[in-house]
Amino acid sequence: MNITPEQAAHALREIENSRLAMRKAVQAHRGHLYLWLWGAIWAVMAVLNWSNPERYAWATLWLNVAGAFASFAIGFLQGRQIRSPIDKRFVGVCATILAFGYFVYPALHGGYHSYREAYACGMLIWMQLYIVGGLWFDNYWLWIGIAVTALILVGFLFLPAFFWGFALLGAFTLLGSGFYVRYSWR
Amino acid sequence: MDALDPTIHQPARLQIMSALTQLCGDHRVDFTFLKDRLGLTDGNLGAHLATLEAKGYIAVDKQFVGRRPKTFVRATPEGKLAFTQHVAALRSILGTP
Repeated sequence: MNITPEQAAHALREIENSRLAMRKAVQAHRGHLYLWLWGAIWAVMAVLNWSNPERYAWATLWLNVAGAFASFAIGFLQGRQIRSPIDKRFVGVCATILAFGYFVYPALHGGYHSYREAYACGMLIWMQLYIVGGLWFDNYWLWIGIAVTALILVGFLFLPAFFWGFALLGAFTLLGSGFYVRYSWR
Repeated sequence: MDALDPTIHQPARLQIMSALTQLCGDHRVDFTFLKDRLGLTDGNLGAHLATLEAKGYIAVDKQFVGRRPKTFVRATPEGKLAFTQHVAALRSILGTP
């Protein structure tokens, strides 16, 4: 098969145009919606806990329920267009970490002893998933997980008076990562 | 030097392979979504996908989303390799790396 240099140049331009169109579509299907959603939820929960944890305990619970439903909705809607295969081993690892974090640890530890501890444990469990997911799929989740884990641990262990400030910073890290993934990351 | 692949070089199939090779790993794209992105008709896209599938360059999976059957398409490793070689052949004609 022989073609002229002009035809080759035209074909390469067509390739680049199609790549750009698909790249834009793929960018709109990255995990930024989850990062925005949960960044906002963790930020609101931090503010509520900071102000009056007893009064807003139910609100934080319902925020989590609403977030879970919204996450399923995002997954369902995005999965109709671009779909990734389900890695059952990774799902198993996630289930194990969540079961340990939410059931085994509180059972052995006699429950959570403060709202601060409950928030820190909840955030750390999910950041563990980010770290494992980042290592598993070799992507940006790893760095988000490490950064937020570090913030929460520093606030909880070394600067407890400023813990909710660190919690807010962790939530903003999720939000900011969402913007980076959506608009800057290639 | 890589040779041009006549199966891929056809303009619509070139568009399809360019788009599919942008997906990560084993990600797959919905037929309608791909059709809208490339501005092709149902029949046109279906015919070209059948040609590429026959060559082993793409895989077509039919799945249910909710209660509706949907067709998902992805490039196979052979397809990605053939496309890379085709692009290299085009560049070599222009004398660019």
